[in-house]
Amino acid sequence: MDYTALIKDYLDDANGHLNAFDESLMLLEKNGTDSDIILKTLGSLHTLKGNSGMMGFESLKIYIHQIEELFKKVNDNELKLSGVLDGLLDSANVIRNALRQIEENPSVNPDITESILSLQQLQEGSGNGQEKQSVELSSYLGTKTDTIRVDFKRLNDILNLVGELVIFKTRLNQIETQIREKINDKALSKELSEGLELMGKATAGLQEGIMKARMLPVSHVFNKFPRMARDIAKSQGKDIQLSFEGEDTELDKTVIDELGEPLLHIIRNAIDHGIETAEERIRKGKPRVGKLLLSASQESNYIIIRVADDGRGIDLERIRETGIEKGLIKAEDTVSREDIFSLIFAAGFTTKEKASDVSGRGIGLDVVNRTILKLNGHVIVDSFPEKGTTFTIKLPLSLAIIPALIAETNGEIYAIPMSAVDESIKVREEDIHIINNHEVIRFREKILPVIRLNEFFGLNRERRKKFYLVIVGKAEKRIAVAVDRLIRQQEIVIKPLDDTFGKSYGISGATILGDGRIVLIVDVLAFWNKGQKDAGYTMQDTR
Amino acid sequence: MNLSPSGLAEDILSGLKEHREEFHLVTFSMGEDYGVPISQVHEIIRVGDITMVPNSPSYMEGVINLRGKVLPVLNLRKRLRLPDKETSKASRIIVTEVNDKVIGILVDAVSHVIKVPSNFVETVPEEVLEIDTDYITGVGKLNDRLVILLDLEKLLKRGKIEIQEKENAII
Repeated sequence: MDYTALIKDYLDDANGHLNAFDESLMLLEKNGTDSDIILKTLGSLHTLKGNSGMMGFESLKIYIHQIEELFKKVNDNELKLSGVLDGLLDSANVIRNALRQIEENPSVNPDITESILSLQQLQEGSGNGQEKQSVELSSYLGTKTDTIRVDFKRLNDILNLVGELVIFKTRLNQIETQIREKINDKALSKELSEGLELMGKATAGLQEGIMKARMLPVSHVFNKFPRMARDIAKSQGKDIQLSFEGEDTELDKTVIDELGEPLLHIIRNAIDHGIETAEERIRKGKPRVGKLLLSASQESNYIIIRVADDGRGIDLERIRETGIEKGLIKAEDTVSREDIFSLIFAAGFTTKEKASDVSGRGIGLDVVNRTILKLNGHVIVDSFPEKGTTFTIKLPLSLAIIPALIAETNGEIYAIPMSAVDESIKVREEDIHIINNHEVIRFREKILPVIRLNEFFGLNRERRKKFYLVIVGKAEKRIAVAVDRLIRQQEIVIKPLDDTFGKSYGISGATILGDGRIVLIVDVLAFWNKGQKDAGYTMQDTR
Repeated sequence: MNLSPSGLAEDILSGLKEHREEFHLVTFSMGEDYGVPISQVHEIIRVGDITMVPNSPSYMEGVINLRGKVLPVLNLRKRLRLPDKETSKASRIIVTEVNDKVIGILVDAVSHVIKVPSNFVETVPEEVLEIDTDYITGVGKLNDRLVILLDLEKLLKRGKIEIQEKENAII
């Protein structure tokens, strides 16, 4: 925990409450006793007292408590407002001075013993008013804050503008290339290039800046779970300890907002089905308290979020069997471990007939999968019997601007997110083979399924002698996507497609290129869905 | 009155004086005359490059770049199940806004902006019309001409239901 950041937050907050306190006192001075105002002020003071106590400023906490007592007595008509108002107005200044001291040196408790005593006297009705607390005029201004509250829409508007700037920059770069070919003035064209390069740097900096401004630490969503987890566990007679790791990791606010629901489902599943009751755990020789770890970390352009429990785990064989029963996989298929576990995300995977620990799982897990896919991320599960289960969510850092490969097929241009692209190769038509009515290619000792982008999008199947294959996905899940031509790699600004297009299967959004042309962004995940429909041949392995 | 050469709704509007008991309709031709209230029209633009969106409802023509924004375009002929017709020089996209949603509507040709009295709209004599009356607010008669008033809200909402059906089919 960054203590200085906390102090800063505390002071910002305290000054807000102090101002509210001052405002109320002025109102009371003007209008006389008003229960509403007093109750509102008490609320403000109570928060300030609590925060001060939490930060370890005991003297301030005691002092504010005395003010509260005084206020209560005024509200109960035990004391006359007129008799204590001066003392109260003075107490605001005492707090003000104390906060100033804290700002200067947060490790020392401000010494306000005298003031505490005089407030106590005031409560007993003696010592009408205390020695006037002198305050430096500038402290009325409070501490300078380092933060401002901004409507998120404004940040969104700026991001959109930056997105457009990126598009214009790309356009200028294209024009630059054309100009270089046409003019012979080397000095001038060099200057143009330099100017564009500087602008490019500034644009990149602006883009990074606005992205950072939209970021929130994942603790925003993590913090919603301890209480929920405790309550669920308690209701089932389970003891759990939910701990966090890397909760300072930052993510775009829009992702943070969407992350709550999938995490909720995963955590609930872990407690419902993963973690055993205390007795069962003791019998198994496990620690009585079940562990649930929520962690976040950044890996290059991705955020990895893990939910790990040390419960009974998921039985791989059982999932395999259920998968075969449900026709999701074939008995003779060689299916990788990861692929078997990913079956639990299939909608309606669970069967009621099988009242086992496996069947309980899967409730809401298809929701998890869909939400994460929507965010351009993906989720995988791994589990070991009696050791526990881990859900790993991988999300892109940014939802707005991503690098993409621009490719052409049948004259149409599409953008493929680089995050999915492994590599690309040039092939000839005769390199493509047919197995089980499916086109495949032998690539690095493996057989990869080939998907023709033009056919996938319902365009005419135009044959070319030579074309390109873009290898997307990782490890067992690689697919070769056939396109006519690779154009270039560039940053694109994702613009969502209007919902009047329905799900527009295979398309995750649109972007505008430098020349003003609209290009659709390929939803790479759709290829695997298609693969799954084709009876799991994508999972074959020739090793 | 004729359309201003810029084709911008603002320009059209500025040339007109609002009258309390009258309202303005942008009328366009689709074989028959159709109209939408000018309050729902942002602007009228020529048809440029339209990017087709695969696997979307057939009546969605695609998307266009409207000053840096991705604007969906609906093909009104296909939506109303009228016979297909190639886009021509006269074809226009009417940029409309309904319920905070901006969408372009591809029509054969934009005719006029007309001023009509508020009692202009009559209920639809169903047997008279070939198209689905669900998308229609009513019909108005103007100098022996029949103008069909489109209900854009329904036109777009209806689309959503169909899309949902399609989605379920995929899953």
